Amino acid sequence: MSEQPPNTPGPPDGPRRRDRSDETSMEWLAGLKSDADDPELQPVDPAVTQAFEAIVDEDDPAAGEESGLIFGPSDDPSGPSGGQTPPAAAPAPAPADPGPAQSGSRRGGRRRATGPIPRTSGERAVPAAGRSSSGIGHPVPEETSGPLTGPIPPLNEVQATDPAEAPANAGDPARDFVKALAAEGTGIAQASASDPSAPGFPDPGFPDPGFPDPGLTNPDVAAAAAAARREPQGSQGSGSFENPRSSQSPRSPEGPGESSGPFALPELRDQQEPPARPERPAEGSSDPVAGLAALAAASGPAGESGEPGRPDRPVASGERPPTGPQPVITAVGVPSPAADPATDTVAVAAASPDRPQPFAELGMKDEEYQRVRDILGRRPTAAELAIYSVMWSEHCSYKSSKVHLRQFGDKAPQTDALLVGMGENAGVVDIGQGWAVTFKVESHNHPSYVEPYQGAATGVGGIVRDIMSMGARPIAVMDSLRFGPADAPDTQRVLPGVVAGVGGYGNSLGLPNIGGETVFDACYAQNPLVNALCVGVMKHGDIQRAIAPGPGNRVILFGAGTGPDGIGGASVLASATFDDESQQKRPAVQVGDPFMEKLLIECCLELFAEDLVVGIQDLGAAGVSCATTELAAAGTGGMHVELDSVPLRDATLRPEEILMSESQERMMAVVEPGKVDRFMEICDRWEIPATVIGAVTGTGRLVMTWRGETIVDIPPGTAVDEGPVYERPIAVPADLGALQSDTPGRLTRPSNGDELRRTVLWLAGSPNLASKTWVTSQYDRYVLGDTVMAMPENAGVVRIDDESGLGIALSLDGNGRYTRLDPYAGAQLALSEAYRNVAATGARPLAVTNCLNFGSPEDPGVMWQFARAVEGLADACRYLGVPVTGGNVSFYNQTGSTPINPTPVIGVLGVHDDVRRHVNMSFTSDGATLALLGETREEFGGSEWAHVVYGHLGGLPPLVDLAAEAALASVLVQAGREGLLTAAHDLSDGGLSQVLVESCLRGSMGARIMLPGDPFVSLFSESVARAVVAVRPGAESKLAALCEAKGVPVTQIGNAGGDSLTVSGRGPEGDQQEMFSIPLAELRESHERTLPSYAG
Amino acid sequence: MDAARVGVITFPGSLDDRDAARAVRLAGAEPVTLWHGDHDLQGVDAVVLPGGFSYGDYLRAGAIARFAPLMAELVAAAKKGLPVLGICNGFQVLCESHLLPGALLPNAGLHFVCRDQRLRVEHAETAWTADYSQGQELLVPIKNADGRYVADQETLDELSSSGRIVARYLDLNPNGSLDDIAGICNEAGNVVGLMPHPEHAVESLTGPSTDGLGFFTSIVKRLVNA
Repeated sequence: MSEQPPNTPGPPDGPRRRDRSDETSMEWLAGLKSDADDPELQPVDPAVTQAFEAIVDEDDPAAGEESGLIFGPSDDPSGPSGGQTPPAAAPAPAPADPGPAQSGSRRGGRRRATGPIPRTSGERAVPAAGRSSSGIGHPVPEETSGPLTGPIPPLNEVQATDPAEAPANAGDPARDFVKALAAEGTGIAQASASDPSAPGFPDPGFPDPGFPDPGLTNPDVAAAAAAARREPQGSQGSGSFENPRSSQSPRSPEGPGESSGPFALPELRDQQEPPARPERPAEGSSDPVAGLAALAAASGPAGESGEPGRPDRPVASGERPPTGPQPVITAVGVPSPAADPATDTVAVAAASPDRPQPFAELGMKDEEYQRVRDILGRRPTAAELAIYSVMWSEHCSYKSSKVHLRQFGDKAPQTDALLVGMGENAGVVDIGQGWAVTFKVESHNHPSYVEPYQGAATGVGGIVRDIMSMGARPIAVMDSLRFGPADAPDTQRVLPGVVAGVGGYGNSLGLPNIGGETVFDACYAQNPLVNALCVGVMKHGDIQRAIAPGPGNRVILFGAGTGPDGIGGASVLASATFDDESQQKRPAVQVGDPFMEKLLIECCLELFAEDLVVGIQDLGAAGVSCATTELAAAGTGGMHVELDSVPLRDATLRPEEILMSESQERMMAVVEPGKVDRFMEICDRWEIPATVIGAVTGTGRLVMTWRGETIVDIPPGTAVDEGPVYERPIAVPADLGALQSDTPGRLTRPSNGDELRRTVLWLAGSPNLASKTWVTSQYDRYVLGDTVMAMPENAGVVRIDDESGLGIALSLDGNGRYTRLDPYAGAQLALSEAYRNVAATGARPLAVTNCLNFGSPEDPGVMWQFARAVEGLADACRYLGVPVTGGNVSFYNQTGSTPINPTPVIGVLGVHDDVRRHVNMSFTSDGATLALLGETREEFGGSEWAHVVYGHLGGLPPLVDLAAEAALASVLVQAGREGLLTAAHDLSDGGLSQVLVESCLRGSMGARIMLPGDPFVSLFSESVARAVVAVRPGAESKLAALCEAKGVPVTQIGNAGGDSLTVSGRGPEGDQQEMFSIPLAELRESHERTLPSYAG
Repeated sequence: MDAARVGVITFPGSLDDRDAARAVRLAGAEPVTLWHGDHDLQGVDAVVLPGGFSYGDYLRAGAIARFAPLMAELVAAAKKGLPVLGICNGFQVLCESHLLPGALLPNAGLHFVCRDQRLRVEHAETAWTADYSQGQELLVPIKNADGRYVADQETLDELSSSGRIVARYLDLNPNGSLDDIAGICNEAGNVVGLMPHPEHAVESLTGPSTDGLGFFTSIVKRLVNA
């Protein structure tokens, strides 16, 4: 089949077969009920408990065996821990599992889970045929010495124990480090020298006050300062920090001086000036501070009065300068011989090698800092330190994840679909007919906890700009959201804010929101996940790249002005673990302006249409630092930037802050000189400020000047590509064995019709499975007029071409509980689900993006989860023939030492050759035959049932079966194309029960269902590779033949029709008996009331 | 015979302008793109003010758009009888421009609301509703943050008694509009403001129905017959 994903090695039925025999084992089923009277595992609903107790099978023969096998608690803990210290014993192997679990052996190995490692999903995931047991991810001992378990690298464990760094931080780290940076310039030392008893010493942003003063007492520094004629440094440092409020007049004192920035408003221009200007002593007289500063430079004791040079940051942008001595406008355009007093220039850096720098506050390790010094052959300037610290942060450099993420490339399946692979802002996929699609998902988790509305809004804004910078027109967004328990008070703060933020921004941009997830789990209580996806389209020829070739080409910054938004957000806020201080981080979250972004979109599209840009990059995390280094590194290697030409919203920003600011809605373009005028005209038309801030050079150096002096001079590639790479230690989490041993077999199940009925309603109304209309109704799904399907459908479907009907389908899925139980399998299960969802609409799955949300990479247990998840995802992508085109890693999602459940969120893109043949999930065709495709096993580990009814998480997740997944997809795609189906719905969380609920309610039509096997298992098991379809009348035999040809089991389960969901099962003699019936109205009430009742 | 030319004004923050143009085209007319900063209506036969957030609408929906250069032309032309349909943000702009009475406030629930809304056509004789029958029920998407129509009682009485309420919400009032008002028109019936989005109900593939097409075919027929 052409629509079959390529590269489907091996016979499709290997792994599925081997379970079949297990399925029929009724003893085993009975065994699962054996621990029902464990008081800790009783259903939450006492009514159900009562009923359930009546059905406990007390003398099931399998019970004994089961419990014997299950108990591994003693060896479990020892297993993993024993396995982790010595690198050799690694995570993967499941020693208890004798051999690669071919046929029947799996069940045993699985239930036991005595080994340190879960059952290795790898082995199950990949069809045995064609692969040795050492195949993908298989837990063979040899493999364990592989990269994942290898000894730990050198760089990682160094702790910043330098006492000098210790005192840091009494307050907002983001701010502190900015302060530290500014102070670092020249201030600290001088301040201490000038006034050793200054009250500000304990300022947290400073290096150890006790440090020998490298400044004034250091002859080198003094010399350098003199050489640079930057005398007034002295008063700068601590005065401005510790006494910010007293430094009232900071921004005004000097005239606009050489600040000739064309965009600065007059009053802003004034503010931009550095305060103390030594060469203008006359002004000093009107400004005592300047005078003092000059004095200080000369001989020490500086005025203790608030030093104006560096007013403590938060001056509201747009705020007018304080009155007071008004700037004297002099010598505009004449370069001042002296730069800003606090400016740490390259010359100063070279002359003061020993000055302590706040690299630890900036999140850099000793080795990393030393590496910067080695690269530069001197200490970095404050601005350079800012650049390296953000570029080498986890957020920007992927330093902990890189060694693992390489697998996405190494294991990438052969495909012609990928026009641009990973590494660019987003990958680009060929969808045929000359069209290309780019899509990517990114996290904005931490900001969304601190400030839900803006955090979520700017998350959407950021990913949209990523897509724009590939040359695409954004056409839709999706969002995957995870919160703490629905009834938790803080969820009621975070949830409405996040939803309003996603909606407020996306709606204003005119991008339809076509789907996603909303999940609740206690593990996200103080660490919500906000993952936003954007998809864009373009013609093949329109792809843009983030490169800056061609010396002489201009570098243009356009979009919003640069303000103090989210300074350090990328490296500090985004990687900070939440603790008591998080409330103090509020100001560090960026604020979005969707209107500006909408203008940017239209503006960029016009720029692209006229071919006016050579290279383009959006400004996201690390702002100007990231854009300039990345553009320069990817081009001819050199760039010169005049940093003071960056238009500011807050004229008091220091160069380091400008470099790190994460102000939203900004883009950077490289433009040939001859096209600059036209570029500016288009920006004008859209009323977008645009400024030439520099030019491409052939020097191979990124050079930045500030007030005429060089403050950055680095090889840009070293910031972009030569960041640290860590092979962090990994170890199986100590509690994993016990967790996996605690199977849901201990949980009492509903058995009679009444209990089943109640369970169906209970699950249908549980927060994770309940209708998400409260969320999605706040999103515009119609705008642009091409949305064919949106939530709550299986996947979002968007038309690309009106004429041909070419379109795409997208689904975004993840399951933290599965991944907690088995990260390798969990990542594959997320991929499976998204893949299945896309196929259920009739689309051919084509490519993958991912957002990997994990705890701290410094926790070996988390790192093990990460490594296993990445390996699982890469293996599954290879197997299914869908390449990973890009993605995002979010670490440090934890509160205190407790990480979230590892949560890889996987997006799958599929193609509809003609969206008019899409299949939706509604039961609308009265009498239509309903069929279940795929095979149902008894799988409840990590299930919604166990979660909702018992709050239980244990055992192993459902078996991954990629071969079956691919076969199912091929059936769904072909059946959709041939018009055999009137509805299709994939089975996942909540199993068949949930599918029936959703499809009936969506179509407002009931169904009469005859359950094929054990009623409970049939209704609630979460086995993969399954879907329910409503067959177009008359097409039954065609569908049966198609399924047979593809090797997909098909079971007729009933018919659509009526106004209630009626379920029958087989009685003891195999006779059909109605078990329960639920009127649609009652079902709807359960399903739709939940979220509004929590969220209001 | 030349097709009718229907202008669609694009403000910087317009979002549904392309959709309005598509609906115009599907109705058999020629859509003409008009730019907010221009002073020329290019001789179009009718105008659609599309949905969106004209200038970001951080102040008040439509409050700045009314000052757009092209709006001066439009107001003058509308007063002379040019058919104008304001959808969502366009409705807000029409109220701000005083071509229609009343105002649109934030939804009663304070959330953006996007849903498929049932409406009843209350006035089938305006320039934009002639293709419907009086009392006809439609299913059309609504999606807005500021859709709560308000006016003083006198105005409401006047609208009601003179038959200028063009459509009302059925089943559920999505935003708290007074008297369930979904749309109104001016005295002459050439200027219509509508909160729901008929341009998103013109194709069965992408809309909940094709019930919205009638607004556009109404104007096309009128222009062709004129």
